[in-house]
Amino acid sequence: MEYIKPQDYEYIMRKYHDPKIVNGNRMIRKDDIFDPSTGMDGDLIRSEILRRDKEFEHLPHPVRKAKAFEFVLKNTRISCTPLDLFPAINSIDRPVNGTLTDLWSSEVFTEIIPEVAKKRAYYEDAGIVTMWPDYDHSVPVWDRIFELGFSGLLNESEKARKKRPLTDDEDAFFEGIKITYTAIIDLVLRLAELAKNTAGSEKLAKALGNIAHNAPKTFYEALLVDYLYFMLSEHIEGLQVRSLSNFDRLLYPFYENDIQNGITEDELRTDLAYFFLQFTAIGNYWNQPVFLGGCKENDETEINELSYVFLDVYDKMNIYNPKIQIKVADSTPKDFILKALDMIRHGNNSIVFVSDSTMRKALVRAGATEEEARLCNVKGCYEYSIQGSMSCGMNYLNLLKPLEYALHEGCDGVTGEFAGRKSPKISEYTTFEDFYAEYKNQLCYIIDTAIETVNAYEDYLAYINPQSMLSATYPACLEKGIDALGGGATKNGSSLAPGFIGDLADSLAMIKKYVYDKKEVTLSEFVAMLDANYDGNELFRRKLVADRDKYGNNKELPDSFAKDIASFIAAYVCGRPNSKKRGGKWNCSFHVARMSYDQGELTAASPNGRLRGEELSKNCSSSMGQNREGATAAILSITKIDASEFTGDAALDLGLLPSAVKGDDGLEAMYGLLMTFINRGGHAMHINVFDADTLRDAQKNPDKYQDLQIRVCGWNVRWNNIDKVEQDGFIRQAESLV
Amino acid sequence: MKARIFEIKRFAVHDGDGIRTTVFFKGCHLKCVWCHNPEGIPSTPQLAYYKNKCIGCGECVTVCPQNAHRIENGMHVFEREKCIGCGKCTDVCLGDALIFYGREMTVSELLPLLLEDKEFYENSGGGVTLSGGECLMHADFCAELLKELKANGVHTAVDTCGFVSKAAIDKVMPYTDIFLYDLKSFDEDIHIKCTGQSNKIILENLKYIDDCGKKTEIRIPYVPGFNSGEIEKIAKFTKDLEHLTLVRVLPYHNYAGSKYESLEMENNLPKQLPTDEEIRIAEMHFADR
Repeated sequence: MEYIKPQDYEYIMRKYHDPKIVNGNRMIRKDDIFDPSTGMDGDLIRSEILRRDKEFEHLPHPVRKAKAFEFVLKNTRISCTPLDLFPAINSIDRPVNGTLTDLWSSEVFTEIIPEVAKKRAYYEDAGIVTMWPDYDHSVPVWDRIFELGFSGLLNESEKARKKRPLTDDEDAFFEGIKITYTAIIDLVLRLAELAKNTAGSEKLAKALGNIAHNAPKTFYEALLVDYLYFMLSEHIEGLQVRSLSNFDRLLYPFYENDIQNGITEDELRTDLAYFFLQFTAIGNYWNQPVFLGGCKENDETEINELSYVFLDVYDKMNIYNPKIQIKVADSTPKDFILKALDMIRHGNNSIVFVSDSTMRKALVRAGATEEEARLCNVKGCYEYSIQGSMSCGMNYLNLLKPLEYALHEGCDGVTGEFAGRKSPKISEYTTFEDFYAEYKNQLCYIIDTAIETVNAYEDYLAYINPQSMLSATYPACLEKGIDALGGGATKNGSSLAPGFIGDLADSLAMIKKYVYDKKEVTLSEFVAMLDANYDGNELFRRKLVADRDKYGNNKELPDSFAKDIASFIAAYVCGRPNSKKRGGKWNCSFHVARMSYDQGELTAASPNGRLRGEELSKNCSSSMGQNREGATAAILSITKIDASEFTGDAALDLGLLPSAVKGDDGLEAMYGLLMTFINRGGHAMHINVFDADTLRDAQKNPDKYQDLQIRVCGWNVRWNNIDKVEQDGFIRQAESLV
Repeated sequence: MKARIFEIKRFAVHDGDGIRTTVFFKGCHLKCVWCHNPEGIPSTPQLAYYKNKCIGCGECVTVCPQNAHRIENGMHVFEREKCIGCGKCTDVCLGDALIFYGREMTVSELLPLLLEDKEFYENSGGGVTLSGGECLMHADFCAELLKELKANGVHTAVDTCGFVSKAAIDKVMPYTDIFLYDLKSFDEDIHIKCTGQSNKIILENLKYIDDCGKKTEIRIPYVPGFNSGEIEKIAKFTKDLEHLTLVRVLPYHNYAGSKYESLEMENNLPKQLPTDEEIRIAEMHFADR
């Protein structure tokens, strides 16, 4: 691999996981990588956390958790080797979560609010709304981390602590930060000492020595800080780090300074490559995000020399993890976008484009200042929020369930259980409008239930999983003396993500067309067919599938439903208060993650001809195989939805044929698609370039396609690592490309 | 005024600059042995029947005024000789197995479809391309359509084989931004062998367009054993063209086989495909373009 020596590559790829284990997310390494004399093994660490905690039971959670964190950092095994520029830390199995947090979570859900837990479980198991206490959608304020370093963050926190008299809870908040950051600094020193005694690790030793008590000064030191923050938060303290930062904006000053000080570009590229490879090797399924671009205060682009170096190194390494988002603005250089598009079309497509102007418009509309909106983070897949905000709760709502209820007097279309509100008999819907109004009633009922449920447990997020590392980077938390999960952040939002707008819009269009306009079937006949999973009515089902009035083709009928439902939900949800303690507002997102499969399995046959259990549409995209008018029509349809009403995200999954994107023409065409999407107010776009023949061949001959990667839904996976059902779905999508 | 259209292709990427919509007109005077749009050759409407896509639903039987379709033992039987090309069956076909080539359309029917992707044209330097068949067999229609497109600020390209009258070219030229000009052979005998027609008019028309100061892009299908020896001569001939923007060598492919079958047209497609190396060498003749 370019930039990485072969023996180093082999070491790093084995560093975090036993190569024999395929899904090794957050599993601890138990063999020869770590010298036992450097610390305890993972099992002992966990049992010791619980044993020692008995002495601390009288203490508040932030302090107890910090003490456990401190214990892990003191005792986890560590390793340095000349084969790697980054140290290894053994405890990547979230030992603090696996012990204390789990305990507190189970206390809350089984003892304090068992009814809420039951509702939540029922909604998830029935495929209605998937809600969970979400510790997965925050980003630390990287500006402060790079500016202050670990010791500087500690000092700032202590300064804030001494500013005014504190309540016990507030003091515990600061004490948690103190213990946590002191432990981090001690770990850095311990690593520095080990590196010093490891021949060939002088560069690492020196840098660790510098960052223990200072802010990073070089590019490599900044990368180390980034890496260590990620490792300790994501894998030990237990909060996903949903971006490695606005990388080019924040790291360029270090890079530029190094170049001025005579460090070669080659060396900096090598540092970057070893940094990337850590995330490739950790290999978390959902991929590790990092973003580029945006605008300066005067609207000039943030794309700089480092942005190009970043893409170039990444491209040459042929990896897909970390994954990249690019904030595209009017000032973003075209050649930079073309470089990214070129990477995508030759198969290196772990890249999402997000519209700077749409995000800014949406955030300002939701109450952010222009400045906050400009500097917003892109995180996770394509989600975004202002810096220092804590958005929790990606609550995935299945838009097909209210349809089942409206057609079954409030009962689930699969199980027959009463799950919604009481709807009239279908014979009472004399007009389409009657039926559509009842659909909305059912939708509101589900939304209300979900919001009520989430609000009830989000009061306990900080109790279950207090976040000292993160809160120390949030100025508002320090000012208020409140944890980021307990309402301390600048904004404390929760998000509802309605899923499968494609299948819903098509289903509504088919009901309107065949029942009320053409009157080919009665609603009762239609419902009987759905209940029988179209058994005995294959011809009619084929007719529904073949019908061209489907969302994603710039057709008025289905598109108007997509637009209306999207606006309706945004108006109904955005701005509603979330939990009392958090004191924030609800917003909406438009992505589905894995719910296309997970909730799809639990969803009855739908009026667009989709069979029971089949995959549902992704994000804001058309339903399976139904984008028959091609890429331009897909973009015209999706941009009828006002993405700026969805302050979480709104993503389009675009499939393109290799023949359409070849040559200079093809590249320009991709650029034209992206720019039209953005000019029309779209938010996020990502692309799979594939054809059905290749995918079929890859399914038959996996050995030939070891490198083939596929964009699932905001992240990439090797083709060979997805199951056959998912592969078949992509083949169907590719077959429908024109 | 109406013309028979056999396809409207959106997001056409290789028919001129940028993102385009390409309109394919029916009818062509040439019969190129390698033709990959055989449905473009006859002026009459045609029904294509893709057997492997047919699900045997019988919907076509119910709408066909000629009883050209029937279901026998669960299998679909299509009698082409009875078909009058009304296209009704293609509207109800549930398997996309029946495709109608040659719908009659007016300019005002076409225009809104072609303007649908206008924003994409603007963001990519694209536009609308008229192609075929030979679109200039419908020169009056094309002129009217192109005029409307220009009035709407759309970039226009005309893809022609050049085997048309000068008058036809004159009609469309004022409203055409660029001609995409197909050139198959410089040698007349080879041209006749490959296409059934002399290339005299074709070469004259190309020169004429250039003399008028109109931009052209030349497109040469590269078919081993047929016109592969012509590249150098074409390069020499095109050297003097002042308004030539680009020469593309298009490697022959045989994807059209199933189309011939679906239309029950005789398939004499050449077997031999060009290698990448052949194409590379051919392109070198036009390296300065």
